[in-house]
Amino acid sequence: MSTDTAPIETGSRPFNPGRRLLLASLLSASAAALIPWALAEPVDNAGQGAFLGVSAILVGRLALEPGLARRLYAALLAQDARFPAQVGALLAQINQQSLNAATLQQALDEAQSPLASVPRQIASAWFLGIVGSGEAAVCVAYEEALNATIVGDILKPPSYADGAYGSWAVKPVEKQHG
Amino acid sequence: MAEQMTSDYLVIGSGIIGSLAARKLALAGASVLILEAGPRVTRGEIVSRFRNSTRRSDLMSPYPSVPTAPHPIYQPTDSGYLVQAGPYPYPAEYIRQFGGTTWHWAAQAWRNVPNDFRLHSLYGVGVDWPISYDELEPYYQEAEEIMGVSGADNTGSPRKQPFPMEPVIEAYAMRRVRERLAPEYKVVSNTTARNSVSYGGRPACCGNNNCQPICPVDAQYHGGIAALQAEAAGVTIRVNANVYQLEHDAQGRIVAALYYDADKNSHRVTAKTFILAANGIESPRLLLLSASSKYPKGLANSNDMVGRHLMDHPSTSLTFDADEDLWLGRGPQSPSSIGTMRDGAFRGTHAAYRLDFTNISRVDGATRDLISRGVYGEEFERQLRFSSAREMSLKTVLEVLPNPDNRITLSSEKDSMGIPKPQAHYSIGDYTRLGHQRAQKDFAAVARLMGGTNLRPSKEGAYANNQHICGTLSMGRDAAVSVCNEWGRAHEHANLFFCSTGVLPTCGTCNSTENGVALALRTVDHILAEQGIKPAPAPVASAGARV
Repeated sequence: MSTDTAPIETGSRPFNPGRRLLLASLLSASAAALIPWALAEPVDNAGQGAFLGVSAILVGRLALEPGLARRLYAALLAQDARFPAQVGALLAQINQQSLNAATLQQALDEAQSPLASVPRQIASAWFLGIVGSGEAAVCVAYEEALNATIVGDILKPPSYADGAYGSWAVKPVEKQHG
Repeated sequence: MAEQMTSDYLVIGSGIIGSLAARKLALAGASVLILEAGPRVTRGEIVSRFRNSTRRSDLMSPYPSVPTAPHPIYQPTDSGYLVQAGPYPYPAEYIRQFGGTTWHWAAQAWRNVPNDFRLHSLYGVGVDWPISYDELEPYYQEAEEIMGVSGADNTGSPRKQPFPMEPVIEAYAMRRVRERLAPEYKVVSNTTARNSVSYGGRPACCGNNNCQPICPVDAQYHGGIAALQAEAAGVTIRVNANVYQLEHDAQGRIVAALYYDADKNSHRVTAKTFILAANGIESPRLLLLSASSKYPKGLANSNDMVGRHLMDHPSTSLTFDADEDLWLGRGPQSPSSIGTMRDGAFRGTHAAYRLDFTNISRVDGATRDLISRGVYGEEFERQLRFSSAREMSLKTVLEVLPNPDNRITLSSEKDSMGIPKPQAHYSIGDYTRLGHQRAQKDFAAVARLMGGTNLRPSKEGAYANNQHICGTLSMGRDAAVSVCNEWGRAHEHANLFFCSTGVLPTCGTCNSTENGVALALRTVDHILAEQGIKPAPAPVASAGARV
């Protein structure tokens, strides 16, 4: 579910090979080893690339849908013009300190890093589809938010039908996940 | 005054109770006008707002307050509309719009148990109702047939006619809870205005798990449907008509209502009979706003009882991880409860309660928790699936005794229309606190029987509110300590009636709406009988049922 605040194109990536980078070019060896499935992701610029790199580390094995990635990045940028610089600095720190999903937040918190809020902002964007907080928050995704995807073999997002009348009475069957 | 209108009956408030009272009058041939403070909003708009919300667990999120008819909003910041005088906060939520607050109810359509009507006689606490269960029973049935209530006859409320339909099929998670708690606890299906078959032109539930804040398919009845049914019966509903004063004549009869339209032009509407149906907070507020030289304390308030005896149902809760996968979030949200503590000799010393199990999806809440703890990557995925499958929660629905110090008054602050805001004075009494303490045994037993770990009780001393606003217009035989008689007629004003959960003299342990609807249907029968009119049979009108 997009909102009026997601202004840029969605769906397939624009074909613009002349200015493409690959995500791998922004990552250290240790960071690249964390997300081998994402290394060939094309990126438009360093800020968006850093966002994709950090996102891949935060969301684990899950695919980063390119259209949603663009909308989330645009929304994060709209919330705070400093976001590209912040996420770039965060990726640099991950590269240098060989941080991973398990160690990242604790390392930032212990160092009282000014970047400590950045992973949570990105995680909220991907897992909840929500960017920003308080009155300024915007909903960029709902059905596509990754928390819906993670349990999608069992649960529909609330407001979508489980099935025909009574479908909920039977024991749910987990499908091979991930 | 921009405009004068007149009607035989003027109903203030288009919520489920006002609309069903108006509809019944119109079906008997009366001319009826409803003035609704808020705007007209459709189900489709509300569903869209929910899906685009940044606060999906905030039930008020799809129901923004409008400046021309503000209502309380607490997230992301408290709008300050309902002023808190303390000592305990009473953050009531309600909706001022076409159809009123039951747009976001959980369709819990409960009858009292018979002893709820005789609390003082039997247990020496609270007050008795001026009527008995048996006197209200036919009106419970009438309400249930209009709303389409599904249920089984095992919840302690005797009935002369069957439920309109069988209970909605039990969710798998609730089946497991019922099986594992037996025989120590009997878990029953809640009686709900939720379709288990097509009924009233509306479909059966299809498990959207979004009863609150909005059922996307109208499988559950709500005030928006009631308001459309009232219109189909011939009632005129004027929205954006914020009534700010009632006028009376020298004999104390109400003669007119004054309202502001959305541009704050004032209008005057006359009628022969007035029905105040603007919920348990806005109704006393309007009576207090209507003070005059003859009634300096406000209408119906010479005894200073208007707004007093405010009651609701405070809740405490226990959340834990069961030892098997349950996957809450499939089927309706609030399907099952334990009713064994709804009545008993203990009511002489502590509050009765129901124990209510939630079946609301845990996914969003678990997500927020994991993000706040900085859990990312594959571990996030693993823990989200674990919590979504294993987490369960139950809560108390605790009785509150009528206490004159718990009350709604007028604030010195004014709202966005320049009208004094309502102000809540509230406390949680020892009777209720003792009920909570007793319930700890049940919480512990349920957790044990479900193999619960990671027990997370609600914070001691913290009571969540359930938005079952009652007592502020209490009915009673003693005119010195009540606001209206058993028919909902104001003791002081012969042509002013109250159709509202505000008239409930005690709150029992069940959601207040069906009591309010049943009492209103009884009030309308009385009004019509006084005028020699026989009520029309009240069919389940499907006309206009689609929102």
